[in-house]
Amino acid sequence: MGTFIQQVVNGLTVGGIYALIALGYTMVYGVMRLINFAHGDLCILGAFVGLSLLTGAAGSGHPGAALLLLAFVVSIIAIAVAGVVLERIAYRPLRKADRLAAVVSALGASLMIENGIMLVWGPQVHVFPAGLLPATTWHFAGATISFVQVMIILASLVLMAALYAFVNHTRFGTAIRAAAIDQDAARLMGINVNRVITSVFIIGPGLGAIGGLFIGIYYREAYFTMGWTYGLYAFIAAILGGIGNIPGAMLGGVLLGLFNAFAAGYVSSSWQDAITFGLLIAILLVRPSGLLGERVAEKV
Amino acid sequence: MRGAPLGGATGAVAGPVIWAAGLALPFALDSSWVSIAAFFAIYAITALSEDVILGRAGMFDMGHAVYFGIGAYVTAILNTTLNVPILLTLPLAMLLAAAAGALLSAPLIRLRGDYLLVATIGFNAIFVLAMQNDPGGITGGSDGITGIGVPSLFGLQLESQSAMFWLDWVVLGAVLLVMRNLDRCEFGRALRYLKQDELAAGTLGVDARAVKTLAFALGAALAGLAGTLFAVQLSTVSPSSFVFTESVTLFAIVIVGGQGSIPGVLLGTALMFVVPQIFRGLAEYRYFVFGIAMVAVMVLRPQGLLPRRRAVT
Amino acid sequence: MRRITIGAGAGFGVALGLLGATGVARAAAPIRIGVQAPITGTYADEGQGIERAVKLLAAEQNAKGGLLGRKIEVKICDDQGEAAQAAICARQLVNDHVIAVIGSYTSGAALAAQPIYARADVIQTSDGTSNELLKHGYRTWFGNAAPNSAEAKFTAHYLVDVRHFGKIAVLTDHSSFATGLADAVVADVKADHGDVIDKSFINAGSQNFSPVLTKLKAMHPDVLYFSGYYSDGGLIRAQMVQLGMKAAFVGGDANQNVAFAKIAGPAAAGSVIINVPAPADLPYPVAKTFVAAYKAKYGALPPSVFTLTNADGMRAVMQAIAATKSVKPAKLEAYLHGMKSFQGLTGTFAWNAKGERTGSPFVAFEVQKDGSYRILYPAPTAG
Repeated sequence: MGTFIQQVVNGLTVGGIYALIALGYTMVYGVMRLINFAHGDLCILGAFVGLSLLTGAAGSGHPGAALLLLAFVVSIIAIAVAGVVLERIAYRPLRKADRLAAVVSALGASLMIENGIMLVWGPQVHVFPAGLLPATTWHFAGATISFVQVMIILASLVLMAALYAFVNHTRFGTAIRAAAIDQDAARLMGINVNRVITSVFIIGPGLGAIGGLFIGIYYREAYFTMGWTYGLYAFIAAILGGIGNIPGAMLGGVLLGLFNAFAAGYVSSSWQDAITFGLLIAILLVRPSGLLGERVAEKV
Repeated sequence: MRGAPLGGATGAVAGPVIWAAGLALPFALDSSWVSIAAFFAIYAITALSEDVILGRAGMFDMGHAVYFGIGAYVTAILNTTLNVPILLTLPLAMLLAAAAGALLSAPLIRLRGDYLLVATIGFNAIFVLAMQNDPGGITGGSDGITGIGVPSLFGLQLESQSAMFWLDWVVLGAVLLVMRNLDRCEFGRALRYLKQDELAAGTLGVDARAVKTLAFALGAALAGLAGTLFAVQLSTVSPSSFVFTESVTLFAIVIVGGQGSIPGVLLGTALMFVVPQIFRGLAEYRYFVFGIAMVAVMVLRPQGLLPRRRAVT
Repeated sequence: MRRITIGAGAGFGVALGLLGATGVARAAAPIRIGVQAPITGTYADEGQGIERAVKLLAAEQNAKGGLLGRKIEVKICDDQGEAAQAAICARQLVNDHVIAVIGSYTSGAALAAQPIYARADVIQTSDGTSNELLKHGYRTWFGNAAPNSAEAKFTAHYLVDVRHFGKIAVLTDHSSFATGLADAVVADVKADHGDVIDKSFINAGSQNFSPVLTKLKAMHPDVLYFSGYYSDGGLIRAQMVQLGMKAAFVGGDANQNVAFAKIAGPAAAGSVIINVPAPADLPYPVAKTFVAAYKAKYGALPPSVFTLTNADGMRAVMQAIAATKSVKPAKLEAYLHGMKSFQGLTGTFAWNAKGERTGSPFVAFEVQKDGSYRILYPAPTAG
């Protein structure tokens, strides 16, 4: 039983991270029907920005909670700015063009960001300083959960709830949802669609930066090719839950994390990824709109 | 002829002339460059095969490296474990790749574009992982299979870099012929109609499902063919050659070059693939500049560098 | 029409147009040595270490007037640690007319390049230790790190006879090096009457090892033996400790890299790694001189002992050239195979007919809190 609970803990932690990253994908897709392939790389860039701050200011070893918070804030702002710039340069000019052109532009942007990270920070594995958070662990029912894990799970939940409230219970949130349903109609209703899109590229990458920094803190390492992998997983999570659907992304992320943990723990650790992708394909075959249904305008 | 894909009579002559000139490359370049030219031929075939599916049939295949890989592994396994001569493995490689293409695409054809895209990514990932896990001990795991032999034609071993290049170049020529005929035949027309407007095509009696599956199978078969040549060129196959990034490159080549455009796809291949090899000296900066270039090209010319001239009907 | 001509011709134009830029073949006045290593990618650390070591040795030799009156020229090719790139690098280096190639770091990359070097009669010396590398008995192959078989024997002896571990869990990745080593260790442990309770795989680079470790924890192993690379080993160790696993950690030789302790963090202390001694611990004077010179030139210690084994490869090749006064492959190969003992940075050793390195001392050392190593077994004797 302890093992099972442990796997649940493992899964929820990773799942929370996936969910944070998945939200960025899903929001952009919902509003623009664009798979922002550069999103994963932006999130990892967040990890690196945070890392620089933490190692730069840490001096010898143990940065306090204030510094950690600062790292998060700086990272969020930096990546949100990066997201907006990305949209302006790589996607806005292609709004009227063939969708595939935007996809390739996104791929190019992804390459650029990934290799940009390598050029600035170096190709080696970067290690996060130890002791950023207390190393306390709790034992219960035969499983162990650490402070970091609790923090990640809680923070993810809180952020997701906040986003959900924002999108569903504020005026601007309604504008986002309207643009996701039909951009032209929204424009006709007086909604500034450009501003909606810009805001989506602030919120999505912002949350993703938090996810990226969590990765760095949890695994204590970051390297420039991580963006691809996490981006892909987060994207799968978004599809699992229903692309364009915000609660769907949250659910998808958590389920994916859990599924991964169980596949690795109970079936086979080396086939774990194959099983995960197999699940994705199964979902696409059986229920392509995802668990909670997609939220995209269908162009007839 | 209005809007004929290769620009009419002149295009029909220029293409083969340039191809024939290419045969002289081994006499003009040293063997490093011949090797790059050989890779160009192989990747061009693969890119053209992606174009069949993406550029012509309009299906978002972002996992095309799978078929490339299947062809390569079939040749590698048959040649190293059963000593089957390389050229004999070719038809089998193409057949298995085609079968995989048909099988994998059949259930997903009805999905919306983006979902098909994601599913193909999934297949690509599963394929690579399967090769890495070495089921049955036949795929060699992460390090793959080494020591693949050389093809022999009429008793002559095609061992030198130049000989291999000529083989690749001739096959490329054959594939270019196939692609040109694709434009003219009924199947090719059906693809064009489907891509333009699936609903309308249906009213013209085009069986969308059958045509799409066939397109996938054809694209996969050609990729399998390229895979065999690739295995021989490297004398090694390993999972890392068929990862998602390769599929992405193929996808980008078609879009950057121009969907459904043969000159466009060839140019795209040259830019995407040959240029980084040339700039190996810049090691770290290569892909960064590449990424920028990709964004720039798309923003400045979203229809591709050499888009297919649309027939005005 | 013109567009098509331009378009289709562009691809070839690119290749042809740069014909002028490529080096025209010239009578090779300098002696060319190639380096094939993962300069970028997961093992960039090691790859760059190898590059630096070879360049350092070449520069030192050139300062003394070169070899046979000719300067040594080092050609680098980045294989990114991958088989396909390794094959491309091999072809390029062969086309560059190198006498010998140092590298690669991983067995997989060395394997992919091996037949190409063998066919071109270019000497290849690498720290790859997979048994696959010995399969064809190529005359051009000289493994500069001790083979897996020797390490496996030592490991089994250490686990069973010295530490008396009861339940042994083995973890490996899918690379040919790590699986080969793990299989050999399992076989030797069993021959020694040890109990291997599990052998599991991880995907290198996937970071998320908690699930498989959780599974292993439930089996209550006394020790977890990991045969893969340091980039994963460090994380495995950290996650083990975080999960509250009581098992000891023993790592194979590829875990020996300064990054291991960094990645594992506080959990690194107490892990045991089996390898030939680390650079800083090597007792030989030549080693100390080399490490000092490396530090002086590059401002850091060599990342691992494999930097030095590859440096040994380079030193051996240079010695062969000087001794035979020739750069002919056949003569160099004969010399290298015939050496009775070579004073390497990493010990005195020789090469047998298969190109296997013989005569190497293994040690088990424990990682300390400050990241340094303390040799546990065999207990260091005075002098």
